[in-house]
Amino acid sequence: MASQQHVLLSPAELAYLHDSLSLTPPLRPDGRSPTQYRPLSAETGILPGTNGSARICFADGTEAIVGVKAEVEKTRRKWDDDTIYDENKEETREEAEGAEGSSDWVELTVEIPGFRDDDSSTVFLAAMLSEALLADGGFVRRLVINRRFHWKVYLDILLISPPLSYPLPLLSLTTHLALLSTRLPRLKSEGDEDPFFDDDWAAAPYLYPRSSNKKVLARPPVTLLVMAVGNNIIFDPAKEELAVADVALAVSVGDVSSSSSSSSSEGEEDVDMTAEEQEGRKLRLLSIRTVDPPSRLTPPGVPNATNSAYGHAQVGEGGKTKQQMPEARAAESEAVEGVWKPPRGGAKALVMAALVQKTLQRGGVADEVFDALEGVDLG
Amino acid sequence: MPLDTSTYSLGLLRVDGRRWNELRRIHAQIRTQAAADGSSYLEMGHTKVMCVVTGPTEPGPRRGGNVGSAGGAGAASGGQHKDAEVLVNIVIAGFSSVDRKRRGKGDKRTLEMQSTVANALAASLHIHLFPHSQITISLHVLSQDGSLLAALINAATLACVDAGIPMTDYVAACTAGSTSTYAANDESADPLLDLNHQEEQELPGLTVATLGETDRVAVLVCESRVQVSRLEGMLAVGVDGCKQVREILDRVVREKGRKMIQEGTVERGTGLNDMDVD
Amino acid sequence: MPITILPPKSSRPIPSRRADPEDVPSDSDSDTSSQAGGADLDGDIPMITTANKSSPKYDSNTGIVTPGELITSDPQWMRGHGTYIPLGTKDITSSVAGTITRTNKLISVRPLRARYTPEVGDLVVGRIVEVQAKRWRVDVGSTQLASLPLSAINLPGGILRKRTETDELQIRTFFAEGDLLVAEVQQLFQDGGASLHTRSLKYGKLRNGVFVAVTGMGGGGGVVRSRRQVWTMDAANGAGQIDVVLGVNGYVWISKHVETPAEVENKTMGITNMEENVSATMYSSQNDPIDSDTMREIVRLRGVVTALVENSLRVDEDMVVRGYQEAVEMALLSSKGPEDVYLGGERGQQLAAALTGV
Repeated sequence: MASQQHVLLSPAELAYLHDSLSLTPPLRPDGRSPTQYRPLSAETGILPGTNGSARICFADGTEAIVGVKAEVEKTRRKWDDDTIYDENKEETREEAEGAEGSSDWVELTVEIPGFRDDDSSTVFLAAMLSEALLADGGFVRRLVINRRFHWKVYLDILLISPPLSYPLPLLSLTTHLALLSTRLPRLKSEGDEDPFFDDDWAAAPYLYPRSSNKKVLARPPVTLLVMAVGNNIIFDPAKEELAVADVALAVSVGDVSSSSSSSSSEGEEDVDMTAEEQEGRKLRLLSIRTVDPPSRLTPPGVPNATNSAYGHAQVGEGGKTKQQMPEARAAESEAVEGVWKPPRGGAKALVMAALVQKTLQRGGVADEVFDALEGVDLG
Repeated sequence: MPLDTSTYSLGLLRVDGRRWNELRRIHAQIRTQAAADGSSYLEMGHTKVMCVVTGPTEPGPRRGGNVGSAGGAGAASGGQHKDAEVLVNIVIAGFSSVDRKRRGKGDKRTLEMQSTVANALAASLHIHLFPHSQITISLHVLSQDGSLLAALINAATLACVDAGIPMTDYVAACTAGSTSTYAANDESADPLLDLNHQEEQELPGLTVATLGETDRVAVLVCESRVQVSRLEGMLAVGVDGCKQVREILDRVVREKGRKMIQEGTVERGTGLNDMDVD
Repeated sequence: MPITILPPKSSRPIPSRRADPEDVPSDSDSDTSSQAGGADLDGDIPMITTANKSSPKYDSNTGIVTPGELITSDPQWMRGHGTYIPLGTKDITSSVAGTITRTNKLISVRPLRARYTPEVGDLVVGRIVEVQAKRWRVDVGSTQLASLPLSAINLPGGILRKRTETDELQIRTFFAEGDLLVAEVQQLFQDGGASLHTRSLKYGKLRNGVFVAVTGMGGGGGVVRSRRQVWTMDAANGAGQIDVVLGVNGYVWISKHVETPAEVENKTMGITNMEENVSATMYSSQNDPIDSDTMREIVRLRGVVTALVENSLRVDEDMVVRGYQEAVEMALLSSKGPEDVYLGGERGQQLAAALTGV
């Protein structure tokens, strides 16, 4: 349900775009392959005053900056009376700590110039991005300091450029990189005492730990924007492509292999090991949201047969328009070749299934996006 | 020159090692954003600001409710204007200050800064050339370390130059302060140029912006208590600082222009010398 | 690889510790003042003296003037665009950053970059944003919307007829919101607005193709005014002919070439007849069938135009045609064969390098 800025395209343009995207293989207006993202430039660690930051510019000029700040906060304990775990063995205690993470330890805001804070599209974007982050509880579990304290993480997402295209993929990728580059001060205190930290920033560990050869062992989730035209599935649609989408989905994908493998393989990081890890990456679907594509709000094209401004050179005015009235009604329900007709109804289940599969399959888009993001120098 | 530099010993350095009349490092760039009409990035010390200008452009009927609190200058909003309307939208990122603090769009201080920047620029921009249009200036504060309003004005000026909007002259801004607090009531307190966050917190200060190389003051904001007797010295130092800032901004623009001509994106102009021959 | 991540360009704001060597101009006097912001501890830093302020800093190497800079106080010159005369003086002063141009006694400053400023006779591509009672309001990428009066279009019905109330009521059947059209700037108003006309068979509604908006006249790359803004070219790889319309305002339309009956006729007819014989398809928004080969080459052309702009090269017939040939060659070498039409990112830079290298 993301209402977006109005896309003004002529019916002829929409029809052309729809036709070219319906070809097999689809022909995208900027020549990309269906799974290809817009080229982008990325950098991290741009703001020394934050715990982590990143900036991404797409080639079309859209740009986003994300800053992460963390503060120590006292954990509000709902289970003060609950003393079972304290008496229990070490393992159980650790498990309990893991489960303690709460979603209000993360505060995520999205700023889009020209939109109000409470604008529905801004709120929806923020909800989608935080939903992905919180979906499996893995993220908040990283924020536990000890039983009494935790990190409260503030994610501020700024869209710098005017919103030229639906900014979800951009914001998600930037958030991902910012989280990857986030470091929290090294804890010097022990146990449940009041935490105090190492002043040395160089010693600060990453929120998402990595092995000594700089390989990231765990990754934050990524939200991909996927759309379908006919049976074609297209990733990272540009504005004009989204304007003819039959259906658009925001798919959030997490990496589950990391959390389990990180503990086991932390010690050994040979080159072979990394290769193995890459192969063994298990992707997990965290959430799917349908995004209402603007295509449904576009005006339909008028076929020549019912166009009163068409062919007057030959035929007189009055009689023809009357004759055409029944045809006009017929044209509303039937598709005419070369005339734009906004999509109606929901998506086909088969298309939806293919869409999710294409995202998640090994070597699929999500996999490659993770790989590419890993290549960004995390300074 | 309000003070004689020679009476100052080298020991009198400020917390960040500057002398009383030194600006912090200013680093600026224009055209940082391919999709916008004009854009700039400006650092004054650790204060970092990004600016994106859209327009002048006539809003279509659909975008009727241009949301976001904006300091409208010139005529009241709504309806047809004789002049272009300058809308300023400031986003102060939550991560910009030392402690994370989120300011909503309705924040009073932000609103005030918006209208100050809007009025300052509207006075210099030739808005009468663009009736019915809007010039939208979005400012993003990425990092704050004092002199925020001055940095915002400078960044907005640069972005407007980049957008090719005609203006009378640069509006260049900086801050000036005084070496002792109001309470100390020290008549002999000396002025300081370009306050950082710490100095801004403890000492009286003002923000001043001037129009180009003239002494014409476009903005003067003083939000702290200070004896009137000190004001003149502070203002003089501030105005002088503005001239230095203007030089720096001008150099950024010239450098960009020189590069564009070298790369062949813009044709060379006719030299003035050719004209003199006539 | 579905995603390419390029290293950030040097022009991007990277908060680098060291000063970018390119940022410091090489001439010595500015060098000293650039350190005024730094912490230079040895030696006395005076406030910058105002002695040299009054002399013009005009740099004859580049010919760049910046806002507030005095151009001349000689009264023989007249001021044009991009300049102003401060109250109470006779000094022609620059109001934008740009290069000086002069036409006889008229001095104007051409900004380094600005929005499109309409001039009479410009061929523009525009999009209807508002329909009013007797006119359309058209976005042409300028500072104001242009207007297209109902009286300035060819009405269907062939003969030159007066517009009627029926036409006013049916105004949306000619052009509706969102429709793209190609038109000519007919007239400029005092306040800077422009009015358009489509009273020629060359002009009218656009279909059968794709639109791309780049920067227009105003500097900094993009479309430039040239001899021909519209041409039909033969495409490679078995595609049909393709029309390219480069609006002076930077809006570009690339479409399949359609030989309309009117076009065939107008070769034999005089101008008066042409005006009378409005093509039947003039206000159609139904696309003709287009084969996939043509669609592919249209995409390739669009890629060429965006690659030219992204690498800040000018866009005109010569560059587009050469760029297209280069792109076809590049695709032959590509791993995916001639079907590969992608020209973004590095490939665009390759293309630009090939074009400027010649």
